[in-house]
Amino acid sequence: MKLSDLELILSAVQKPARYTGGEVGSVVKKIDGDMLRYAFCFPDLYEVGMSHLGMKILYYQANRREDVWCERVFCPDDDMAKAMEENNILLFGLESLDPIRDFDLVGFTLQYEMSYTGILYMLKLAGIPVLAEQRDDSFPIVVAGGPCASNPEPLCDFIDVFSLGDGEESSDELFDIIKKGKKEGLSKREILKELSKLEGFYVPSLYDVSYNDDGTVKKYIPLDKAPEIITKRAVKNLDEAFYPDKFIVPYIDIIHDRAVVEIFRGCPRGCRFCQAGFIYRPIRERSYKKSADISKKLLEFTGYDELGVCSLSTSDYTGLEGMLDELLDWTESRHTSLSLPSLRIDSFSGELLEKVNRIRKTGLTFAPEAGTQRLRDVINKNLNEQEILSTCETAFKAGYTAVKLYFMMGLPTETDEDLKGIVELSQKIVNLFYELPERPKGKGVSVNISVACFVPKPFTPFQFSPQDTIEQFRRKQRLIKDEIKSKKISFSYHDSETAIIEAVLARGDRRVGKAILRAFNKGAHLDSWSEHFSAKDWFDSFEETGVSPDFYAHRERGYDEVMPWDHLDYGVTKSYFIKEHKKALSAVTTHSCQKGCNGCGAQRLTGGECQWIK
Amino acid sequence: MDQIASYPVRLFFKKEGRACYISHLDLSRCMSRAIIRSGIPARYTMGFNPHLYRTFALPLSLGVEGKMEICDIKLTDELPFFEISQRLNNSLPEGIEIIKAAKPVLDPKEIMWADYSVFLDCDSKLAAEAVGRLKARDEINVDKKTKKGIKQQNIRELFTDLEITGEGFKSRIDVRCRAGVETNLNPSLILDALNRYEGFEPYFTKTARNRLLTKDFALFE
Repeated sequence: MKLSDLELILSAVQKPARYTGGEVGSVVKKIDGDMLRYAFCFPDLYEVGMSHLGMKILYYQANRREDVWCERVFCPDDDMAKAMEENNILLFGLESLDPIRDFDLVGFTLQYEMSYTGILYMLKLAGIPVLAEQRDDSFPIVVAGGPCASNPEPLCDFIDVFSLGDGEESSDELFDIIKKGKKEGLSKREILKELSKLEGFYVPSLYDVSYNDDGTVKKYIPLDKAPEIITKRAVKNLDEAFYPDKFIVPYIDIIHDRAVVEIFRGCPRGCRFCQAGFIYRPIRERSYKKSADISKKLLEFTGYDELGVCSLSTSDYTGLEGMLDELLDWTESRHTSLSLPSLRIDSFSGELLEKVNRIRKTGLTFAPEAGTQRLRDVINKNLNEQEILSTCETAFKAGYTAVKLYFMMGLPTETDEDLKGIVELSQKIVNLFYELPERPKGKGVSVNISVACFVPKPFTPFQFSPQDTIEQFRRKQRLIKDEIKSKKISFSYHDSETAIIEAVLARGDRRVGKAILRAFNKGAHLDSWSEHFSAKDWFDSFEETGVSPDFYAHRERGYDEVMPWDHLDYGVTKSYFIKEHKKALSAVTTHSCQKGCNGCGAQRLTGGECQWIK
Repeated sequence: MDQIASYPVRLFFKKEGRACYISHLDLSRCMSRAIIRSGIPARYTMGFNPHLYRTFALPLSLGVEGKMEICDIKLTDELPFFEISQRLNNSLPEGIEIIKAAKPVLDPKEIMWADYSVFLDCDSKLAAEAVGRLKARDEINVDKKTKKGIKQQNIRELFTDLEITGEGFKSRIDVRCRAGVETNLNPSLILDALNRYEGFEPYFTKTARNRLLTKDFALFE
């Protein structure tokens, strides 16, 4: 497509710069016949997708090769989708404006369950059949990766091959096999079979599933000599792994509009509800020198005036102090601010605290996740009330007046006492403020509590646990609301219907795909945006396709049940999850990996020990 | 006290192609980042949240091309003007290009007129007739969207030198419109008037602002 063809519809749409490309840092290449054309798709709006770090890494890694051109594709908003359909414009890559229907490879990143219908929507806008079995060899191969690929079963009807684990490790092999296969004139099925021989590639069409009478999975049966267990790929050494020294600088305001350096992958904490904390193991750190070096290069290339660090737990980074030493003078001299998320001030030395204090402060946020120490022990959230209160005290003395607290409801073993504990903790913070002689004068305090509905996830100790029903969630929301006596406390909660849909998709098997297709056919897309989302369409779809939330979300699963993801190996072993689940039920905590190895099993993937910078 | 040296510089730039679909706010951010990338010694504001000095003389509507737009910045060191343009051009995205950098001569308040070209896909004969009849009117009332709602406005005195040329299915309108912070006519309102009075609606239009002028129709410098 020429730009002038696109211009015919741009004047009618909101934020046209979402669809024009041409940003600083975007990669435009001269097409030659031998080049592999790759559409990297994020199944949500430009502002969301452009904020995603993984896409930036994989985009530049693919484009460093002369024989590959990787382009970005995002989900158009309704006005654009309508204009495209009316003018017969198929979904196109932002760099070349060419339809992705003609590409060799279309890849989706699976960041959250509610983006699944976005995949179907984008395929349809691209003129590509949504069902894999309806795509002949003339269509691109459709690959998907990202955290939700850890249970890819609900998407098996739509995706040709899943890439498990760190994409930096597997991308080149994926490109090579497809290029070689096309050159040799192999069929799509033959190319997929070649991919299945490599570690980390899961080709669902090469597996049959049998079920027990009670509906649970009986067995995964590999066909055509496909491997019985597919193991995720893991970067061995983060310093040696690819990391871009440039970012695409968007014109429009995106959600995270800043340079970002990933300081380590994996998490030592082991919070039992947290999927990211387990599937990104083992822990691999980037050296502080490399982190600082990347930061400087990125800031110089992009012209950003903000640098963020990315990890699951910033204060556990052993290179934090070194990195700040390398960076702080430089960033201050060029008016660049640094944002350090999820810092736990309690673990800092005075000297480090001083360095951290030079950074411009944002809000004061805690994620206790549960209202009582007992329940925090169950979920292994290692944060106690005293830490929260003493940090608040320091912050109030420094002039802060607002505190944000994140909790969950519906956690395993939860009682009403735990829910009341949420309000009690909030009230203690309010009282602390007013009892403090040094509090900011003439100002009131505000404590915002946000309570999400718990969604049990695969590859966590709570993968066995039942989720609360809508009625249970709603009763608990009312209970918390009634418990709040102070006007200084504001309470917000998440929609329980969405949480249940997420839970069905998160722990679903292959039969759930029919419900996703049905919901899509009813119009579901961009489900993470309230103006597009219809819970009724989803629950009707579940009903009509025989997908029961009782079975997938609310049922307690036995330790010996075959989970739909048991044939995938993400490092941490099932026996470790069982052990952790048992400990959770008796409120026994597990210490952080820094205090010694707990034997989760993930270190096998990188051969040896977890890597901490000494 | 503000003791840092300050050298004002006026940038004249083009905004074309893909770049005309970025809004004024986005352009402002884009220019700041290009300035930082270029490494020219740009001056920051004082205070708690320092930001780059940059002022655009007159915002451009989304989708409109600019052939000679103006952005004022300040430097802390003197630098040859050609070097400023060159370094910025190496840092700017596709579609935005500095034509020249120079010492500001006039205050942006002196901007009174702007020349536009509107390119139309339409029957050129019908377009020429419609424009001819519109020009002959003493009063041209259009709906103008304001913050308080839709207001009727007579735009007859707000433009001059309205001309149309073209053949076949392509036409081009050239028009000089009032411009400035207080009184400003967006040429899209002339198209609205053509629709309202003449029932004339082109299939596609593309607008470019060619230059900014003072009250005497001299080039704003």
